[in-house]
Amino acid sequence: MPELPVEIPIPTPHQAVFIMVAVATSVASLLVVTNRNLFYSALCLVGALFGVAGVYVLLEAEFLAIAQVLVYVGAIATLITFAIMLTRGIMFGTTSPNNRHMFAVMSMALLVFLLVAGLVDRVPWAVAEDLTLSGDGKSLIVDLGWEFVTTYALPLELIGLLLLIALVGAVMLARDDE
Amino acid sequence: MVPLQAYLTLAAFIFSCGLYGALARRNAIAMLMAVELMLNAVNINLVAFWRYGPNREDLAGQTFAIFVIAVAAAEVAVGLALVIAIYRSRKTVYLDEIDLLQG
Amino acid sequence: MEQFSLLAPEILLFTGGLVIFLIDVFARDRTDSGRGYATLALFTLSAAFVASLFQTYAFFELEVAQKPVAVLNMLEIDLFAALLKAPIILVMILITMAGSTYMNKRTERRGEFWSFFVWVTLAMSVALSASNLIMLYVAIEFLSITSYLLAGFLRDNQRSAEAGLKYFLYGAVASAAMLYGMTFVYGATGTLDLKEIAAHIAANDPSVLAPALLPATMFVMVGLGFKATLAPFFQWAPDTYDGAPTPVTIYLSTASKAIGLAVTARVFVVSMNALLVDWVPIMAGLSILTMTMGNLMALRQQDVKRMLAYSSVAHAGYLLIGITAVAAGTESFMDGINGLLIYLIAYMFTNVGAFLVVMVLEERAGRTDIGAFEGLYRRAPALAVMLTVFLLSLAGIPATAGFWGKFFVFGAAVQRQYFWLAGAGVVNAGIAAWYYVNVVRVMYFGERETDAEPVSVPIGMGAVLVVCTLVVFWIGLYPDPLIEWATTASEQLLSVGS
Repeated sequence: MPELPVEIPIPTPHQAVFIMVAVATSVASLLVVTNRNLFYSALCLVGALFGVAGVYVLLEAEFLAIAQVLVYVGAIATLITFAIMLTRGIMFGTTSPNNRHMFAVMSMALLVFLLVAGLVDRVPWAVAEDLTLSGDGKSLIVDLGWEFVTTYALPLELIGLLLLIALVGAVMLARDDE
Repeated sequence: MVPLQAYLTLAAFIFSCGLYGALARRNAIAMLMAVELMLNAVNINLVAFWRYGPNREDLAGQTFAIFVIAVAAAEVAVGLALVIAIYRSRKTVYLDEIDLLQG
Repeated sequence: MEQFSLLAPEILLFTGGLVIFLIDVFARDRTDSGRGYATLALFTLSAAFVASLFQTYAFFELEVAQKPVAVLNMLEIDLFAALLKAPIILVMILITMAGSTYMNKRTERRGEFWSFFVWVTLAMSVALSASNLIMLYVAIEFLSITSYLLAGFLRDNQRSAEAGLKYFLYGAVASAAMLYGMTFVYGATGTLDLKEIAAHIAANDPSVLAPALLPATMFVMVGLGFKATLAPFFQWAPDTYDGAPTPVTIYLSTASKAIGLAVTARVFVVSMNALLVDWVPIMAGLSILTMTMGNLMALRQQDVKRMLAYSSVAHAGYLLIGITAVAAGTESFMDGINGLLIYLIAYMFTNVGAFLVVMVLEERAGRTDIGAFEGLYRRAPALAVMLTVFLLSLAGIPATAGFWGKFFVFGAAVQRQYFWLAGAGVVNAGIAAWYYVNVVRVMYFGERETDAEPVSVPIGMGAVLVVCTLVVFWIGLYPDPLIEWATTASEQLLSVGS
């Protein structure tokens, strides 16, 4: 068998999974913002959110992956789907889903992507030499909980209050009085 | 191991998608969905930087990501409530048709 | 325990809001006049104000804190935060006193409104001294999300609901962009603490990190610029200011904007000091763009409320000069940050007064266009004179508070030899004077009598207007103490950064 002129890198299983998850998430994200039908957009959003949960698993942040599925997919995506159905009649609109700045915005978004993508290779990010995680997943979750009630106690309190305000305020704005 | 740059590029792509959707869509709910994409890109960045960063034991990146998720939940609730309040009186959620205030 | 005494204003605000909220939950009375809730809010805010005054006094006079005090790892109470906290809470008190009748008349959900109003003050107070990006983000989002609710609070009023939705949609995008920038700061430095970020930048070659930090700062500026209504992120402001209930408009255009600028100053001065030179062109450009666009739009307005909205955008531009012209480590008298502090405090009280006069007329005539002000001097001399004082102070005429703000901010630019920046500021101030004076002219010499009845001013409103006028003159005629405090505070903040 003749030698190939270039060496084709064979991805490790980990990399192969990443490539699949990344491609799926990217396609789903693109569909969210390009689909004409809002309902399909919402379904694609659920897909993208699951993909992001997969990315967290690959990054060994399992707790976050669970939180992502529970809060984002379970609550936020459902809420959005409900809102779409409540405001139906616009779901299958015949008018354009985009405003007149569409092309300017598209080039701006492309520019942002190229800027950041060009940047990531050129910056000396604060990266550790040794990438193995100390401790197992369980101790990480214990540490995470500990951080929340010690270092981050104050923001945690505030966010609790914020969720209360958001809940009460949302009910107040959205409920039907009659 | 997947290089850090791969995660950052993925996040940049999702963020740009979200940015495009948030600014180009006319429907307020579609804009909201695009904002969720942007926040997810942010979280991928945070977790990736945490995983590859020097101070993994302080878990700052993961903690930040959880705060972002919680704030996003509050934001979506308030945003959708505003959308529904508008829809009830105006029967539209197209932002360019919501134009009482202009000048 | 000492840490908790430092948090006294915040704890008071938290508890007070909760008391109002719980009373409302258990009373479930939609016909209640709401006066009790407003009084409780007033009481809570006043208690927090006294606590923050004690703090300011302790910090400045007793010099308990030669160095900033870190609280619960997340906050850093320093002179900069202490000096702004008391005026911001006072502004919220004034708005409560003047706006309680207005709000209670328009909504049935008075308990919710006043508890949210107290809690939004809590968010501002925390944001002022946040020293960690997580804390900063949570505090700013708390402020934003509660403000979306308050702007859209009168949901049956289509204008209010629209104001809330527009504010929300712009704000959500801006805050996502800000977060994206913060992640790059985290990635480049490995930490979220403002001081440790500075230490990391100093330990490495700043020019190596610059390719990551400059775009990151620009993203962060989108979010903070949105709160501070800097160009090009101010489009929401006139619509939201116009449609939101007037008491909400007043705090959005004063206290909330002050938070945006104060946080910008803290983030840039404390953590990005090493990159100071790199961001001067960006900040200067933003500043000139903001004031020019704000003023040009304000010139075209026929409605005084919208004119004030655009002019408050222009003021954000002048304020940004102070952050652009930061001069750390030099022995200069005007280091930019003291100008920012003086300008902010002067601006807040002036603008509250100006918006309140507009609110009085809105209550009376139901409209706020320039015609409603014709011949105001004959119908309500006191009101007209006070509005004149506020407008002159906004224009920066000597003997008013606004003069010292502009003097110190433009002076800082001159000291750093950014003559073009100071020049742009002065030219803009000239344009602005034109439309302010136009309103004054209409009030005194307007011929068309639309409404001959004298305008009556409720007692609470009158008291607040008098307080605002007194503060404007106090700072205008006897600025020495404020200048001294602001200079001490700015020196401390700058010494942390460098």
